[in-house]
Amino acid sequence: MSDRRPYVRPMPRDWWARRPFRHYTIRELSGVTIAIYAAVLLSGLVALLQGPAAWEIWRGWLASPASLVLHAVLLVAMIWHLRTWFQILPKTMPKLVVGGSPVPQRLITLIGTSVAIVCSTALVAFVLWRPF
Amino acid sequence: MPHAPEKRSNAPIFWLLFGAGGTLSALFGVGLILVTGFLAPQGIGVAPEALSYENALAFTQNWLGKAVIWAVISLFFWHAAERLYLTLKDMHVFSDTGRRLLTYGVAALVTAVTAGLLLAIGF
Repeated sequence: MSDRRPYVRPMPRDWWARRPFRHYTIRELSGVTIAIYAAVLLSGLVALLQGPAAWEIWRGWLASPASLVLHAVLLVAMIWHLRTWFQILPKTMPKLVVGGSPVPQRLITLIGTSVAIVCSTALVAFVLWRPF
Repeated sequence: MPHAPEKRSNAPIFWLLFGAGGTLSALFGVGLILVTGFLAPQGIGVAPEALSYENALAFTQNWLGKAVIWAVISLFFWHAAERLYLTLKDMHVFSDTGRRLLTYGVAALVTAVTAGLLLAIGF
């Protein structure tokens, strides 16, 4: 028998939709849009296997305004993912020590983001300047 | 009393796939979307025949092309799976088994289907 009535902090069921957690939820859901992009590629693979006629239909859809809008949304989400991914990186990796002093988190974020910009730019440059 | 064998967590495997997909998409995702969503289909800076059936087939029949396609599609799905799984857990939707099937289950299925499609397309 105990009169103990410990304080239980109230936690609304929709806490994930409220500040300050909303930012976190948006970040997590931006990760889900990456699968939507992968699904677009997967549908192309299915069309390719079905033959030239199916491939042309898929290609036509890819050039349609609906596809442009979808890819614009996916692009924004992907940029958000890239930005937040390297913001979390220094918080999830073991502390990096160089020359006896820890590397600042901001520097790790800056380096990661720069490497990503170089990688994506290199990919686009390769496609643009490769003679097809 | 005999010691029961320690139950190992399978979480690290999912975390590894999540991290691999997150890093791959962070590094190349923006470039990929620009190329496959805008430049190639609109013919901006890229010849219209770049996306021809023959070219797409040649890329997909190449072992390196296959590896790239398989890695991008499956790892992107594994990344989304982990994030969606944890978010659904936060939102208290579905049972834990249901959440696992919807996220890890779909990612595993996509990984297998993509491998099957790539093999069916041949070399």
